[in-house]
Amino acid sequence: MDVIKNVFRTNVRQYGMIVALVLITLLFQLLSEGILLKPLNVTNLIQQNSYILVLAIGMVMVIITGHIDLSVGSVAAFVGAVSAIMMVDYGMPFYAAMALSLLIGAAVGAWQGFWVAYVKIPSFIVTLAGMLLFRGLTMIVLNGQSIAPFPKAFQKISTGFLPDFGNNSIHLLTIVIGIVLSLVTVAQEIRNRRTQQKYGFDVLPMPWFVLKLAAMVAVINIFTFVLAQYKGIPFILILLFALVVVYTFVMKRTVMGRHVYAIGGNEKAAKLSGVKTKKVTFWVFVNMGALAALSGLIYAARLNAATPKAGVNFELDAIAAAFIGGASASGGIGTVIGAIIGGLVMGVMNNGMSLLGLGIDWQQGIKGLVLLLAVSFDIYNKNKSGA
Amino acid sequence: MKKTLSAVCILALVLALAACGSGNNGAQGTASDGSSGGKGGGKGTIGISMPTKSSERWVNDGANMVKEFEALGYSTDLQYGEDVVENQVSQIENMITKGVKLLVIASIDGEALTDVIQKAADQNIPVIAYDRLIKKTEHVDYYATFDNFKVGVLQGSYIEEKLGLKEGKGPFNIELFAGSPDDNNAYFFFDGAMSVLKPYIDSGKLVVRSGQTKFDQVATLRWDGGVAQSRMDNLLSANYTTERVDAVLSPYDGISIGILSSLKGVGYGSPDKPLPIITGQDAELASVKSIIAGEQTQTVFKDTRELAKVAVKMADAILNGQKPEVNDEKTYDNGVKIVPSYLLTPVSVDKSNYKEVLVDSGYYTEDQLK
Repeated sequence: MDVIKNVFRTNVRQYGMIVALVLITLLFQLLSEGILLKPLNVTNLIQQNSYILVLAIGMVMVIITGHIDLSVGSVAAFVGAVSAIMMVDYGMPFYAAMALSLLIGAAVGAWQGFWVAYVKIPSFIVTLAGMLLFRGLTMIVLNGQSIAPFPKAFQKISTGFLPDFGNNSIHLLTIVIGIVLSLVTVAQEIRNRRTQQKYGFDVLPMPWFVLKLAAMVAVINIFTFVLAQYKGIPFILILLFALVVVYTFVMKRTVMGRHVYAIGGNEKAAKLSGVKTKKVTFWVFVNMGALAALSGLIYAARLNAATPKAGVNFELDAIAAAFIGGASASGGIGTVIGAIIGGLVMGVMNNGMSLLGLGIDWQQGIKGLVLLLAVSFDIYNKNKSGA
Repeated sequence: MKKTLSAVCILALVLALAACGSGNNGAQGTASDGSSGGKGGGKGTIGISMPTKSSERWVNDGANMVKEFEALGYSTDLQYGEDVVENQVSQIENMITKGVKLLVIASIDGEALTDVIQKAADQNIPVIAYDRLIKKTEHVDYYATFDNFKVGVLQGSYIEEKLGLKEGKGPFNIELFAGSPDDNNAYFFFDGAMSVLKPYIDSGKLVVRSGQTKFDQVATLRWDGGVAQSRMDNLLSANYTTERVDAVLSPYDGISIGILSSLKGVGYGSPDKPLPIITGQDAELASVKSIIAGEQTQTVFKDTRELAKVAVKMADAILNGQKPEVNDEKTYDNGVKIVPSYLLTPVSVDKSNYKEVLVDSGYYTEDQLK
């Protein structure tokens, strides 16, 4: 029993967020009389939040290094605008325009990373400047106009679905993917357990372990089953999944990722231990710029227009997602998965309150309170486990 | 590595400075035009304060007025407040300090300018409210606008006509969208549309499946198409999985774009599930293209060139000591007085008449719409 208590105690931040997400989902599922988890609405939830989740992944890395990026909304708008000019006005093929857009995003990130990492100007200032600069540039290049429509192939990024084999009432490929995914997860978990046992770590007792596996498999398959009842897996979900897997791997298993944590935990100590702190910080911002560009492309593809107002307040949503997801304002703590869950908490609330027809005045107030509560819950737990 | 890195950064720096530089040149250009005009024995400077550069129409409004004023021999000081009230207040204060002869103001928040308008009055500077009414002050001399209530009426009547509600057809499903709650005009648009649609909603010929009919439920913060898109997604998944939506009241083209994307996302726009009637406003380029492509159904065209002319004529008359022409002296009560107004009539545009209204009038060229 002690082992379980230990596991829970050490993971209370992770589990706390998941529990909160489940509770909020159930609450709105009840209030909306079952609409929230309808297949169509689950698909909506993914598409409505995709661009914030992409930002949240980059943002949590920036926050882990102990910095902040306020410019991402403006950068997303700017890149969306430039991509529209390339695709709509100059008829550039969408893949070339996308590749160029991502490069522009990375260059913007490099610009800001240079000031933060090498000139040592606080990131708050640099990115505040960036927020103004790129909002201004967006308006300059668009001249107040909305540019539309995008080529069909480009729109598919946000609105397309994985094709199915044959013509079925239910999306078979999605079900198959769910099963494959469960098998991979189970195999992975068993391998991890073996490794941990080999090194003499505490592991969950067998019945609990089986229970955990069963729960994971159930969640994966229910989720894919729900999606299969509508149009299957949206492209954007595949993209998000790939990003989460890659970035989780980078943050947990690679030298770069561990250096990011080291810098956030204690920059001086990291530097003395041979971490190239400037270089790492620089690349974290380059990465953020590229992800902001991706987010801008996704948003433009979804709205099917580039507008001067795109991306307003995106930075706040992304930052809120990272903090609700357990990142620490002082750096060094946070996970990609956490940020995704934090983003989903905000997303489910947005979606749920909109389903209920709550006015925008109340929506904003409630979201503010939830952010405060989530972070204070987190701090409370941290203090308790620290004591 | 380090060398290339710093090279890249310096390059970026130079480029950015160049961009800033050219931006500044632009601003200085207009400013110096203004002052040189003033010195050049012209008729003095007119201060023009506009709300934002992130919407096509205001950019055109500003440019048109500058052109008209300059044709009459005035110089101008045109500034945009970027939708931040404080910016606009200080910009107007600066214009007063610079000694403009007259102010034309399209307010960001019509309630927030009483103080600065008082300052203008203290200097005997006349004020014309442009498109948006300035409230709670007696020092607004005239108001030049489109008939905003009429804009809503046009949108509502279009839905009424196309669905055949007058002939007693129905019931049809409709969903409602309104503009930003911090914009006074948004209420006029919505009330105008509802003045046509409300009787049908009450009689059950129009059904709002979501039940969301109050302004604060259907309002769209910042007139943001993305916000409207998410709301439309949710309306569709909550209420229209088996039903079909037949019409959507949208107050503005940018919002219509979001609604359209949402509808197409769930399969509207195919022969067995055609797109509903979708209204709009401002005849923005992207939306006119969409109307031609058969997606958005209608938009309301407000010829801002005409509005600029009206405002300029008013200003010229005031400065020459004459009484400007007005055509409405009872509708626009700003809380302190009824502001004498000149109302222009908006025009409903759809696929059938876009050529004569938009192209023949020279508002757009045929090439732009391709």
